[in-house]
Amino acid sequence: MKIALLGNPGAGKSLIFNQLTGLGVEVNRYPGSSVCLECGNVCYKKEKIEIVDLPGIYSLDGNSEEEILVRKFLESGEADIIVAVLDSTKLERNLYLFSQVAEFSPRIIVVVNMIDEAERQGLIIDVDTLSGRLGVPVLLTAASEGREIDRILPLALGSGRVVSIQVPYDHHIEAALKSLEKTLGTPRYKNLLALQGTGEDPMLLDAAAAIAHEIELRHRMSVRQIIATNRHNFARNIAAAAVRQGDQKKTYDLDSLLTRVFPGVPILIAILFFLLLFVFVTGSWMQELIVQVFTTYVILPFGTMDLPPLVERIGFSVLVALEAGLGIAFPFIFTFYLGLSLLEDTGYLTRAAFLADRAMHRLGLHGEAIIPMVIGFGCTVPAVMSLRILKTRREQTIAAFLISMVPCSARTVVIAGIVAAFVGIAWAFSIYLIVFVLIILTAVLLSRITPGEQFGMIVEMSVLRRPQVRLVLAKSWLRIKEFLFIAMPLLIITSIALGLFQYFGLTDLFQQMVAPVTVTLLGLPGYASTALLFGVFRKELAFETLAVLAGTANLGSVMTAAELYTFAIVSVLFVPCISTIAVLYRQLGARITALISIYTVFLGLFVGAIINILMK
Amino acid sequence: MQPSLREDYLEAIQHFTILNGHSPRPHDLAVVFGKPESEIQSDLGNLRASGDITIAGDTSVNLTKTGRSVGECVMKKHETLQFFLSEILGMDSSTASSEACTLEHSVSDETVDRLGNYLKKTRPSGNISADGTKPAVYGYTGVICDESCTPRSLLDFNEGDELVVRCILGQSCAKRLLDLGVVPGEKVKIRRKHGKDALVLQVKGCDVALSPEIAAAVSVERFL
Repeated sequence: MKIALLGNPGAGKSLIFNQLTGLGVEVNRYPGSSVCLECGNVCYKKEKIEIVDLPGIYSLDGNSEEEILVRKFLESGEADIIVAVLDSTKLERNLYLFSQVAEFSPRIIVVVNMIDEAERQGLIIDVDTLSGRLGVPVLLTAASEGREIDRILPLALGSGRVVSIQVPYDHHIEAALKSLEKTLGTPRYKNLLALQGTGEDPMLLDAAAAIAHEIELRHRMSVRQIIATNRHNFARNIAAAAVRQGDQKKTYDLDSLLTRVFPGVPILIAILFFLLLFVFVTGSWMQELIVQVFTTYVILPFGTMDLPPLVERIGFSVLVALEAGLGIAFPFIFTFYLGLSLLEDTGYLTRAAFLADRAMHRLGLHGEAIIPMVIGFGCTVPAVMSLRILKTRREQTIAAFLISMVPCSARTVVIAGIVAAFVGIAWAFSIYLIVFVLIILTAVLLSRITPGEQFGMIVEMSVLRRPQVRLVLAKSWLRIKEFLFIAMPLLIITSIALGLFQYFGLTDLFQQMVAPVTVTLLGLPGYASTALLFGVFRKELAFETLAVLAGTANLGSVMTAAELYTFAIVSVLFVPCISTIAVLYRQLGARITALISIYTVFLGLFVGAIINILMK
Repeated sequence: MQPSLREDYLEAIQHFTILNGHSPRPHDLAVVFGKPESEIQSDLGNLRASGDITIAGDTSVNLTKTGRSVGECVMKKHETLQFFLSEILGMDSSTASSEACTLEHSVSDETVDRLGNYLKKTRPSGNISADGTKPAVYGYTGVICDESCTPRSLLDFNEGDELVVRCILGQSCAKRLLDLGVVPGEKVKIRRKHGKDALVLQVKGCDVALSPEIAAAVSVERFL
């Protein structure tokens, strides 16, 4: 038995999903798509029921990955019952999607969620009218209070009904649908999509395009507009019959503060600043703790086990990788996601996107890109993972380049540990300045040369509400799990490779090989190249390795200020770390990942060389 | 019952059904015609007797097959004539519409067909073809705008203004806007606007933030 939750973004699907399944959730990638599906199993009356949380969408006609996925899912008939989750405060708009889902005629029940919010707004929803008009059972729920959630499964299993309503389209569209059905034998929903230019069957598309052209001539309106208008009218009629506006409690509109330039922008900056501060302070504290515990109780005992050298080397590499992974996963990624989920669930994030739109425009991006960029200051890995929220590949690509350059907390360790400690605080800030200038230059350059269409921001502002601790935790946990499963294996493999590299004495060979670059070009001691190489592994390792190789933690005594400064700036710019490369590869594919890596290597070496020349 | 009155009724019912997605009730028609409901009721009785319409239990008025074909035919005549009068002869659209209302009853089918074909040839075809070189611009009243008559976009209005969507220019961003309810004829309100930057639009009870380039593509007029 399989049940799928379907609905608009922000209708409360995830909350319902979490309450139905608990935390035992798996994340599955749908074949041929990078969108993740969350699945969970529950036992009900001794039957195993799989629940799938489909991504939130506004429409089934579009060509975004989420929409294609949901369409395919509906077409395949994989789910036995669809639970359509509608937001009771925006019933009309939500019914628009429902009218599209109905075209696939699945077995369905309707859950009208956030009824608590509707009550606050004085909206009264008549379940019987709604259920009568839609021809399927309707349940009013308030997921945030857990109200009526336990009735969803019994209702879905007991009285899910094949939905039979049809949107009455304009008679030209209806005629076109009938004629396509007659001539090609294709189902109604496919014909509707084909009229809007979506589909895979070339014959159907051709036939539909010809008719669509005819209709557009007649109506002087695109077929998409006609169909959308018909559906909206249909939804409006149902909503008008089922929803009554009662007394409204006057509430204070926080948006009069949050979305104005003043005090909105200062609030935004303050929130982002405290988010970073929170992640950085608690993150580095936790990281220190984890690394310390891991070193004392795992790595050191392992060293005393007297294993054969090769085995020891491999084992050691695996442990170091685990340490590195856990060292960033929990402290930085988890805390960041906690903060982010909190902002997301309160609905503030959409306000931030709105306010940041102008600044982001300058970088060839849109308001929504502020989220990955800010996350980048904490850790590049979750930042890359959050690129998904950007709509076009063009924006994802530009943002990926920029994020890879944003100084993450690990790079801050390098800057602080090397430059601030041995050269001077002002010099440390100058590195930030150089990096920011480079980011802006890169953005300007990329926004000119990156192919693809510019797509502006269209973001629905989510309603401001109190976040649910449970959901925030669940979300963060889900994301951290994603990281652990994707990045960890790669981290371990690379670590083993690097360990073997060292074991067979290739590090010395490598040092000699790249000596012209490190020694001549950058003016650094030969062993610095190995330190840089380790920096690829985990950025702050560059600093630690340098100290080990130099034989002293007092780096100022063995390297000149210029050398230290050059080393720091190169390792900050130089190639994103291995975990970043792993998620970049997953998110954007091999080509972009390679481009980013090569670009940052050259940028690092180039800037390093210039500084070397200037400082001599 | 006069033939022209019958045609007016059938046309109005058909038009209402297409526009709203459901059949009109007598009071809807009373609003359309500006007549008292009692008079409408008696006219509808005559129409039912002549087999043009059926009246359902909830008083909604549906066209029969013959009724629909007459209604469609008159509607088509009306559209063609109005288009000819306003777009080719340059009359203002309300006069064109009322003139078309009179002419539609006496004009023959052939004249309208030929006029329609003539208009198709003279119409600026680049606006309609989906070749992507010129953006298709459609007004909700059915008037095709060309580049010369630039409609006012969302960017030309201020915070707090109540507006009606006329059309959406360009195709790429149109889809998501349509899904969110920004469709021709929809009433919207600008909730927040910072100069020429991003704005927040209230549509169907939801707030939607739009980039300026998207807002520039939404052609609107003031809600009166």
